[in-house]
Amino acid sequence: MTYRIVHKTTYKYKVPVSVGNHIAYLTPRTFAHHTCMSHELLVAPAPAGVSERLDYFGNPVTFFTIREPHSELQIEARSRVVIDDDPAVWPERAQPWEEVAQSLPADRSPEGLDAYQFVFESPRIKPGAEFAEYASQSFSPARPLTEALLDLTGRIYKDFRFDSKATNVRTQPEEVLRHRRGVCQDFAHLQVACLRSLGLPARYVSGYLRTYPPPGRARLVGADASHAWVSAYCPGTGWLDVDPTNNLIPSQSHVTLSWGRDYGDVSPVRGVIQGGREHKVEVGVDMEPD
Amino acid sequence: MLLPDRSTYNEFAPDGVTPRPYWSAVIESLQDIGPDELARRWERAERRIRENGVTYNVYTDPQGVNRPLAIDPIPLLIPPDEWRVIEAGITQRAHLLNLLLGDIYGPRQLVQNGDIPAALLFANPAFLRPLTGVAPPQRGHLHLIGVDLARSPDGRWWVLADRTQSPSGTGYALQNRTIVADVLPEAFGDANVRRLASFFRTWREVLLGLADCDHPRAVLLTPGPYNETYFEHSYLARYLGLTLAEGSDLTVRDRRVYLKTVEGLQPVHVILRRVDDSFCDPMELRHDSFLGVAGLVDAIHAGNVVVANALGSGVIETAAIMPFLPGLAEKLLGEALKLPSVATWWCGQDYALDWVLNHLDRVVVKPAFPLRGMEPVFGAGLSQAEKQRIGEQIRSRPYEYVAQEQVDLSTVPVWDQGRLYPRSLVLRTYVLNTGSGWIAMPGGLVRVSEADGQVVSMQRGGRSKDAWVLWDGPVDTFSMLRPRNQPVQLERAPADLPSRAADNLFWLGRYAERSESIARLLRCLMTRVRRANHTELACLFRLHGCLGSPHSTLPKDRPASARDLEDELVSLMSGVERPDSLASNLAEVHRVGGSVRERLSSDMSRLVVALAESARTENYMLFVEYSAVLNGCLELLSAFSGMERENITRGSGWLFLSLGRRLERAMYSVRQLRELTSGLDEQSWPLLEYVLEAADSSMTYRSRYFTTLQPIAVLDVLMADESNPRSLNFQMAHLADLHKRLPRHPPADQQAIQGALALLRGLDLEKLEFPLPGSDRPAGNSDGQSQIARSLGSVQKLLPSWADNISLTYFEHAHTYPISIGG
Repeated sequence: MTYRIVHKTTYKYKVPVSVGNHIAYLTPRTFAHHTCMSHELLVAPAPAGVSERLDYFGNPVTFFTIREPHSELQIEARSRVVIDDDPAVWPERAQPWEEVAQSLPADRSPEGLDAYQFVFESPRIKPGAEFAEYASQSFSPARPLTEALLDLTGRIYKDFRFDSKATNVRTQPEEVLRHRRGVCQDFAHLQVACLRSLGLPARYVSGYLRTYPPPGRARLVGADASHAWVSAYCPGTGWLDVDPTNNLIPSQSHVTLSWGRDYGDVSPVRGVIQGGREHKVEVGVDMEPD
Repeated sequence: MLLPDRSTYNEFAPDGVTPRPYWSAVIESLQDIGPDELARRWERAERRIRENGVTYNVYTDPQGVNRPLAIDPIPLLIPPDEWRVIEAGITQRAHLLNLLLGDIYGPRQLVQNGDIPAALLFANPAFLRPLTGVAPPQRGHLHLIGVDLARSPDGRWWVLADRTQSPSGTGYALQNRTIVADVLPEAFGDANVRRLASFFRTWREVLLGLADCDHPRAVLLTPGPYNETYFEHSYLARYLGLTLAEGSDLTVRDRRVYLKTVEGLQPVHVILRRVDDSFCDPMELRHDSFLGVAGLVDAIHAGNVVVANALGSGVIETAAIMPFLPGLAEKLLGEALKLPSVATWWCGQDYALDWVLNHLDRVVVKPAFPLRGMEPVFGAGLSQAEKQRIGEQIRSRPYEYVAQEQVDLSTVPVWDQGRLYPRSLVLRTYVLNTGSGWIAMPGGLVRVSEADGQVVSMQRGGRSKDAWVLWDGPVDTFSMLRPRNQPVQLERAPADLPSRAADNLFWLGRYAERSESIARLLRCLMTRVRRANHTELACLFRLHGCLGSPHSTLPKDRPASARDLEDELVSLMSGVERPDSLASNLAEVHRVGGSVRERLSSDMSRLVVALAESARTENYMLFVEYSAVLNGCLELLSAFSGMERENITRGSGWLFLSLGRRLERAMYSVRQLRELTSGLDEQSWPLLEYVLEAADSSMTYRSRYFTTLQPIAVLDVLMADESNPRSLNFQMAHLADLHKRLPRHPPADQQAIQGALALLRGLDLEKLEFPLPGSDRPAGNSDGQSQIARSLGSVQKLLPSWADNISLTYFEHAHTYPISIGG
């Protein structure tokens, strides 16, 4: 499957911004079955300096600075991504989840070490008893990790209501758990919190989801959106993605941008500006099969 | 008398009576001096400490910012052999910690091999992932570290903590040395004490050597005047010859760091930082930080700036690393760890967890990662239920906790009101990475407990002491302040003036001048208000009106009485709640002066401190006593303006200070002249005298015109006479001149001020008509009158906007704080 993705972000400032430093996580990662064929980042006004590097988690990052006074900033990322067929190889029989939690601290294989760091608290996700309690219904004793993981994904899908007005980017997972509402970012944070509270490594994944127009209607440009889901570590197999917002296993319809401990590690665009004061953001994503 | 306490080590006398032999030189000289002389000397020293503004800000202290640092005159003595042990131990430790950091932010072999548990990094918020993969700094991550030591009852020194980000205290240690060596010069000479100066000289050389370019610019990055150790930042900046910069003084362009100065952007190559790791860059580290520089991490990645210590060095400040150091020393250095750490258990290890849970009453439980914020829990005092609770807390996330043995700290005498008392102590030592080896500062900062407590912390209000390393060989008497046998390099180039410092100097000038005008006005009014007749009182009200204060306490609904004016004057003098009072303006002088302390001579700094105290009045004070207070205050203000003229080199800093003063005086002068020229009738004749006095021009006037008060002559003295430093035209001419000397000054502003000056010079005072006493012709309405009113009006309008333009041109970027968006 090949996709062309156009991701537009527009900042509108009340007062002109004199200097803006920005970080963008808008380049799709390349890994296993998932290849970024081409990518370009168009920024207006034109940036004074652009640099790129891979971050600690291996995500491509772009830094740019705008030094002319501006009241509007447009960032347009254009990417082409190829996803090979049937990438998610879920094991037939996975280990009981407790074994994973117990073996990991002593696992010094490169994969094990890499996975282990996703067990701990991160700036936006603090594991705790309340998450463990919610998760425990799915993670019954000795249940295979994969089975429990899918069960938890399904429960979050059923128990929580998608409500774009209930939360914002700073809403904490505790609050989401209490009010049972939120958007994809909240559900992903919540599920990561649940898994980590049980001692299981879990990542936050930022990306895109292909959407389908209602039958008989044309696909609307820009109607797609940034999306977020979860990846959990299964020793011997690797990382397994689940999407609690849609209760499915991401495959051909999910394009991955980056992953990290939580949203804060991989938020698509952020920055530090001088001036500006209040601002509005508009985001439009257009994801089209090629 | 020191009471013997055999459960702790007594640095001074093992039995509390017989001093250890190496104290003899100090004891003998203390005996020679005698308690009275010591008390006298110490009183002088304490006054100097206050006057020098040596402060350690305690966050919870009601005195808040600028609390004087508490120092004790008796040094801690460390004999040569003991120092050799300490020195070998701390230099080895610094070397080891440096290797450790290189691995943590580089290949992470030690974690892969299991030499360091992975959780120590992954659960540690001080492990800064954006700093991994940076090409390692040439000399490693550590430049200067602090090692806190304590001595156990058996006489061994133990490491309590490692300060690896930006250790504080070197400046205080230096200041303590200066003060104590001055109080006890005989003892200091006799005891053959190792000197500190060459350590600081090497420090400066090493810092500049961190950059690989010819004329490196190094700055000291401070969180700003509200930080508890700001005094030290400005003291060190001056001593090491670095520009003191706040985060907002720096900017990153094209992956390079620049200092925003009044001359434009200047490249920065080395940053000695006193801002904590995660606050240094709001882009890639803490998004909510106002203290950092956006893009700094990226500039580090590009290899364009060296930050000392490297960002992320805080990761090994965790005590949880301590149990692993002996093994790491064997592995990385092939040596045994020379100086032991205080017994520490990291609960992330199963056996340590078990041990801690079974021995809670023997340990202090602390958070493994200090950023998490938790007060230490002393196990010994806990009830069974409390132990249960803390046990559960630890078990829920063991890797978050460490337990440490509680060290019985050694004691050292402190001097209090002529007597000596034993107090517990912690010694902070410092080690510098010279690139070709590690050198220890021969001395350190000693902190002693307040009263008998075992908790030693500056934040909690303890005292500090000097540490004297006694030497058995010759001591190096090099001094940074008075270099000898050294070729002097003449440096005339203007030092960098950051925009923020220029801004503060500008306001220092303005507040000092504002204080002076108010003080003169108050003195003029206060000495007259009680004996003024009706006519005079009306003039006093008009003089007071020249201030145009929106905070005046005078009644608005009825005619104000002399009593009202008296109350208003007292409020104007000491009302701290009104921003236009003398007290408030002096407080601003103190605040602004304190934030540019490193740019003022020490005499000027002392005056700034004294000024803040000078207008202090007491509730029971008699009204007539106020003028004495004002006299004292005016003397200090005059001394300050005198130093401003005589003791500051004419660099851009002085230009801004003088601009501020001239501008403020011009604004004040215009207001008075307008008052004087608008409707000067027979009734208001005394106003001439008052305005002359308030402008300190009575003598000038009398020397020229004897005692006859003539309005035109008064106007000439106060406005047109450019030889009178109080006249308006003098201010305007100087403003124009100062402005012209500013780097990259906007021509339009220069034209505006020249235009205003020309307008004023063009006024023909002879044409003015004023009523003479006894005549009944009303004043005003002549051409001359309306022309002067128009001119003064336009100058009055020009000045504030002209001042705003200075701010916009030179200070604006120092004021815009960054905002984080997204994320």
